[in-house]
Amino acid sequence: MSLVRIPVGPQHPALHEPENFTIEVEGETVVDVKVRIGYVHRGIEKGLESRTYVQGIFLSGRICGICSNCHTTTYAMTVEEAGGIEVPEKANYIRTIISELERIHSHLLWLGAAGLEIGFETMFMYVWRDREVVMDLLEAISGNRVNYAINIVGGVRRDITPELAKEIRKGLDYLEERTNYYKKLCFEETTIRKRTEGVGVLDTVTARKLGAVGPTARGSNVKFDVRKDDPHLKYDEAEFELITWDTCDTFARIVVRILEVLESIKIVRWCLDHMPKKGDIRPQKIIRRVPEGEAYGRFECQRGELVYFVKSDGSDKPYRVKVRTPTMANILSVPELLKGGYIADVPIALASIDPCFACEDRITFVDVEKERKWTWTKEQLRKYAMEFNRREGRW
Amino acid sequence: MLDKVVKWSRVKSPWVLHMNTGGCNGCDIEILAVLMPRFDVERFGIILTGSPRHADVLLCTGAVTKQMKKRLIRIYEQMPEPKFVMAIGNCACTGGVFKGCYGVEGGIDTTIPVDIYVPGCPPKPEAIIDGVAKLLAKLQES
Amino acid sequence: MSRRRRVSTKNEEKMLVELKKELGPQLIEGYVQRPRRIHIKVNPGAHRKAIEFMRDKWDVWHVSTITGIDLGEKIEVIFHMWKFKEPQTAILVRTEVPKSEPKLETVTDIVPASNFYEREVHDLLGVVFEGHPNLERIVLPDDWPEGVYPLRKDWQPPE
Repeated sequence: MSLVRIPVGPQHPALHEPENFTIEVEGETVVDVKVRIGYVHRGIEKGLESRTYVQGIFLSGRICGICSNCHTTTYAMTVEEAGGIEVPEKANYIRTIISELERIHSHLLWLGAAGLEIGFETMFMYVWRDREVVMDLLEAISGNRVNYAINIVGGVRRDITPELAKEIRKGLDYLEERTNYYKKLCFEETTIRKRTEGVGVLDTVTARKLGAVGPTARGSNVKFDVRKDDPHLKYDEAEFELITWDTCDTFARIVVRILEVLESIKIVRWCLDHMPKKGDIRPQKIIRRVPEGEAYGRFECQRGELVYFVKSDGSDKPYRVKVRTPTMANILSVPELLKGGYIADVPIALASIDPCFACEDRITFVDVEKERKWTWTKEQLRKYAMEFNRREGRW
Repeated sequence: MLDKVVKWSRVKSPWVLHMNTGGCNGCDIEILAVLMPRFDVERFGIILTGSPRHADVLLCTGAVTKQMKKRLIRIYEQMPEPKFVMAIGNCACTGGVFKGCYGVEGGIDTTIPVDIYVPGCPPKPEAIIDGVAKLLAKLQES
Repeated sequence: MSRRRRVSTKNEEKMLVELKKELGPQLIEGYVQRPRRIHIKVNPGAHRKAIEFMRDKWDVWHVSTITGIDLGEKIEVIFHMWKFKEPQTAILVRTEVPKSEPKLETVTDIVPASNFYEREVHDLLGVVFEGHPNLERIVLPDDWPEGVYPLRKDWQPPE
C-alpha cells in the first residue's frame, strides 16, 4: 500500500458522545436549554450487584474510560470501609500517584479538546503530543494506556520501583515546563481570552444552588475539593493548593484546570519523596467475601465529586452499589451556563464543564420567535461559531 | 474506467465516520490519539467526516445501548454503498464487560454487519492502525 | 503545612445531639460512623424537616446524591448531604417507604440540586416524589415499558 499525501481538512470531530440537546433561541441568543441524557445508560448498578467484588472493580472502571482509575479507586475504598479492611501504607501512596497522573492526563486531554472548540487546532496537536508523556508513564506502571486495573479490594496490584520513580520524575519535569508554557499562552493569547472571557457565566450562588462540582464550581469561586474537604489516601499530608478563580466564566475553568495540573505534579513529587521503599502493596490472599456493612465513599475525580455508596451483606457480591458521576451533578447547571449567550458560544461553554456522558454530536435548535427548527452536527456548529466570531471581531 | 478511478480514490482516501454507540470513551480517545502527531494515521489518507452521507467507513465504539440502537441503524442506512464497518474495542465486538447488563444490546454485530473487529480494552493505537490497514486491503479487493 | 486527619468524633456527636433535639420522636435512629459521617433514620415526611433544619442552621446546600435501596417489603431512600462549613461532614438522611405505595415528598424546593437524583430514583425504583416539578424519564430508554423498575430485586434482566 503506497503512501499518498493528502491535505487534512480542518475538521476533527472530537470525542463523540451521544446526548441530546434542544436549544431554544431568539435570533442569536440562547433562551433555554433542554437536556436528554440516558443514551449511555447501560445498567451498571444492577450489573455490579450480580458480579463479585473482584469482577466489579473491572466493571466500575469502564463506566468512564477517562476517569476509569477514579472509579476503581473509589469503589475499592468504599468496599474496604464497608468491610473494615485495612490497606497497606505503600498502596495508598501508589493509589495517590496514579490518581494524580490520571488527573494530569485528563486535564491535558480536555485542554486540547477545548483548543479545538475555540478553533485553536495547533494547541490541540501540541497538548495531545505532550500528553503522550503521561500515557507512557502510566503504561510503564500499569501495563495499559487507558484502564489501568491497578486497584483491588485491599491494595494495588503493581509496585513502583525506584527505576520507575526516576522515569516518573523525568516525565514530570517535562510536563511542568510544558504546562507553564500553556499557562502563559492562555493568559497572553488574546484569541483565547476573547473567546472565553464572559462566556458561559455561572455565578457563585447559582453554582452552589444547582450542585455544581469540580472545576466547574471552582471556576465560580466555590471552594469545593474533596481532596481538601474529606481527606483520604495521602491528600491530607501532601502539600498542594486548592485552586479557585473568581471570574465565573469559561476562562476561569481553563485556568483552574491548568493550575491543577501544576498542583498534581507537586503531589506526585511529594508522594515519590515520601513513599516507603519497601512494604506490602496488597493483601496476602484475594479478599472475596466482605463483612456486612455500609460505606459512603467520596473522591475528587477530574470532573468533580465522585460518590459511591456500597451496602455489603457478608457474601461475595454487594447488595447495592450506587454511583453518582460528577457530570450528572454538572448537567443541571448547563442551561444556566448557556442562557443569555450566543449560539456561537455553545461549543466552548458546553465543553467547559468537561462532560463525560456519551453524546451524539447533534444539537437541535428551536427559534421561538421565527418558529423554525433545525438540527446541526457539532462540526456545523463549530463552523458557524468560527464565522460568527470572525464577523464580530472576536477572532 | 470510472469504476477504477472511484475505487482508487476510495482506497487512497477513505472517508471515515466515527460513532460512539454507548461506550465509556476509552476507545474514542485512542482513536483520537491515532490521529495525533505521534501515530498520525492521516498520512494514510484517512479523513474524518461528520456526515454519514459522505462516509465510506463507519468506525464504531462502545456496546450498543438500547437507546442508541435506532440511531445506529439510521446512520448505517444513510451511508452510501459500498460501506464498511469497523468495530473497535471489546464492547463493540461482543458487548465486553457489559454483556448481561439490562441497558445493553450487545456488540455492534447485533445491529449491523461488521467487516473488521479490533479487540482490546481499549485497543492500542498500533492495533487500530493494523485494523485500518486490513480494511484498506479489503477495500482494494472489493 | 500538612494537616493531620481529624480522628475525634466530638463535633459529629454534638451535631447529632442537635438533630435529636430538633426532630424529637421523628428521628428513629442516629449514629456517628466515623469522623465526617453521620447517619440518621427518620420517619417519611420528617426528612424535609431534617434537611430544612440543616440548610437553615448549618448552611447545608449540597446534596451529593439520592440512593434508593430495595429492602424487600420497603424501599429505603437515602439523601446524601454534605456540610461545607467547618467542621465538614456528610450527613446521610434515611427514610423508608412501603413498596406497595412508594410515595415521598420532594426536597427540590429546599435543595434544587436534588432534581435529577429524585428523577433517577423514580425511574429505577418507582418512588414517586410528590411535588417534583418534572418527574419524567431520565436515564432509561424512551421505549422502556412503564411500571418496570430495573433496580428492584424482583426484576432480573432477561437472558
